[in-house]
Amino acid sequence: MKDLWIVASYTIKDMLKKRTFIISNLIILIIIIVGFNVPNILNLFTNSESSGESSSSRTLIVDEANIFEGSLESLNSMDLGVTYEISNENISTNDIKSRIIDGEIDDAIVINETDGKINIQYIVENMAMMNNTVPETIVNTLTGIYTNLQISKLGLTEEELASLNPNFEFELQQAEEQEVKGNILVIMILSLVLFYAIYFCAYQVSSSITTEKTSKIIETLVTSTSPRTIVLGKTIGIGIVGLLQVIVIVAVALICAYVCLPEGVLESVLDLSQITPTLGILTIIYFILGYATYALLYALTGSTVSKPEDVQSANGPVAIIAVIGFYLAYFTMMNPTSDLNVFASIFPFSSPFCMPFRVMMGVATPAQIAISIIVLLVTIVVVASISVKIYSNAILNYGSRVSFKDMIKMYRNKDDSND
Amino acid sequence: MFYTVVSYIDNKYTVRYNFDSLKRKGKFMGLKVEHVNKTYGTKKVVNDISFEIDKPSVYGLLGTNGAGKTTTIRMILGILKKDTGEITWNGKEVKRKNVNFGYLPEERGVYPKTKIYDQMMYFAELKGVKKAKAEESLKYWAKRLEVEQYINMTPEKLSKGNQQKIQFITSIIHDPELVVLDEPFSGLDPVNTELLKNVIIELIKNGKYIIMSSHQMHSIEEFCSDVLILNKGETVLKGNLKEIKEKYNANRVSLSTVENVDKYIKELGLEIYNSKDNDYIINISNEEEGYKLINKLVENKVKVEKFEIMKPTLNDIFIEKVGENK
Repeated sequence: MKDLWIVASYTIKDMLKKRTFIISNLIILIIIIVGFNVPNILNLFTNSESSGESSSSRTLIVDEANIFEGSLESLNSMDLGVTYEISNENISTNDIKSRIIDGEIDDAIVINETDGKINIQYIVENMAMMNNTVPETIVNTLTGIYTNLQISKLGLTEEELASLNPNFEFELQQAEEQEVKGNILVIMILSLVLFYAIYFCAYQVSSSITTEKTSKIIETLVTSTSPRTIVLGKTIGIGIVGLLQVIVIVAVALICAYVCLPEGVLESVLDLSQITPTLGILTIIYFILGYATYALLYALTGSTVSKPEDVQSANGPVAIIAVIGFYLAYFTMMNPTSDLNVFASIFPFSSPFCMPFRVMMGVATPAQIAISIIVLLVTIVVVASISVKIYSNAILNYGSRVSFKDMIKMYRNKDDSND
Repeated sequence: MFYTVVSYIDNKYTVRYNFDSLKRKGKFMGLKVEHVNKTYGTKKVVNDISFEIDKPSVYGLLGTNGAGKTTTIRMILGILKKDTGEITWNGKEVKRKNVNFGYLPEERGVYPKTKIYDQMMYFAELKGVKKAKAEESLKYWAKRLEVEQYINMTPEKLSKGNQQKIQFITSIIHDPELVVLDEPFSGLDPVNTELLKNVIIELIKNGKYIIMSSHQMHSIEEFCSDVLILNKGETVLKGNLKEIKEKYNANRVSLSTVENVDKYIKELGLEIYNSKDNDYIINISNEEEGYKLINKLVENKVKVEKFEIMKPTLNDIFIEKVGENK
């Protein structure tokens, strides 16, 4: 037990001191901080371009023929975050374009009438940003103003006017009883993040074990402590580092989200009421259990190789299991009330990527959570016993890769773990 | 002491016997390997090997490549499971918790990117050594093996020889009773070989039991009291090195003369094994033939610079033993 902690703490210290580890984490943190500040950074540029003027955009509306009969002035009182400059003069398109490029105005709307048809041109700096269509808000706003202008000419009563403007209320309903909360896209992104966190932490165990074999330190190590202690100590050590890493990254991301993002952006993608301490604890539990499952599988494959060039192919099967597990969780999440998603949340190789989000969406029952955790724990114990056994037998194998047949033989081999 | 005087009143002693130490006295102290076998598949790698070390000394385990030396060592340390037989230390089964042993594996290995100090402390800690004690020990051995300036570096920056010395320190930093060295001299230059030899002699003086494997006979001959020669898993020769050598008759004469003496040698019907610039190695079948040769040279007033009747070296014995088993 004492040795277990010695191995784990050595693993932790060794990882934290590695330059590659420090640099890669710094890069991740920088990407997160920069990512959350993209809106602010963009603002900074646009602000400096308009040399300190108000940050709201400016739109020029040219209505030379006065088709809207002055009703366009009402736009400025609508509080659309845009300052409208309405002109009845004849300004050439080229003039407008140069004013846009100079940054004097952001865009322009030119209204003309030819052959009884009202033609509205929307001029922007670059069409690509507009998805090649005129934004619906502009179309709807202008249509609304023009319609109101024409209606007012009809001399209708208040009631008649009111009846023309429909007062619809739209509401979404579902046939199933269970209600799914949250934005599915955000949940899928979070699921992907959790998958990568678990997968890469677990992968470290494999590379750490193979490094010990390739550097031949293993023989000194197994005469110092038992193979079981080495495998479990390493798994615990790397797991602790991984958990710390995830906690730091999530904490930085959350701080950035609150400090750097404009108000309301976070709430618009994430229902903050879904993020509860219970969810946090459950996510950590699933991270630990998922990590342990995959880390021990990787310990198994890592110990069957002795040359760095064999690592990739030996780890292949685990990677396939992980990818299948992840996609099972990922795609069934689109339909969280399906039986397949329930299965994915209990199946040990997919549940770590699935259950936390079912909890987040409010579709997981306590019984399902309990069963899934028990299944994971049993899997970990089974995988750990197999891994330790194979590891004990394979560590001194310096030749070619250990075949599957050899592995079965090693597993059947009577206690060789030399405690 | 087997007893302690508890009191002495009116010329009467009250004595308490220490039965434990009495028992231990009668028991075998040291390492005992008895009838150990190991088979890989159908291949017998070690066949019924037995030997013992009962006093601080170096026991030489000799053999060609693939003779079963490393397998034997791994079985002694419990890294590999033996098929049958017994291996005991002071009467107890050899296990990590029963024996404080140090091991320098044949496959040299260090953590290439971890500071030497850190990995040394790690192994010492795993062996249950207190930090202060381990630091003191590391300081001593690093100085002794002339690697103290590298302690805060990573091994990847060191030469192979220095890495090997670092690993040697790892195997003795915890002051083990039994030290197992698998080919300790392979890859070391003559200066470092000499350095390591002196360290091994120091270890014996400090009461360590050492098992050393090698296929370089001359490196072992200097300080092995007992040897075991393995060939394809079989014991071909075993025992006290001095006694073994005494059983062999002198087989060569080493001779240096000022002039060419081929004709005198031929007159006596002796065979020249090797000659160069009037330095001869001559085969003889007994010492008598050697005396006849020197007499003849003296009679003929040949100026002799060197004359030595030689017993077979361990190398000769090894080649003879392993050769005849081929």
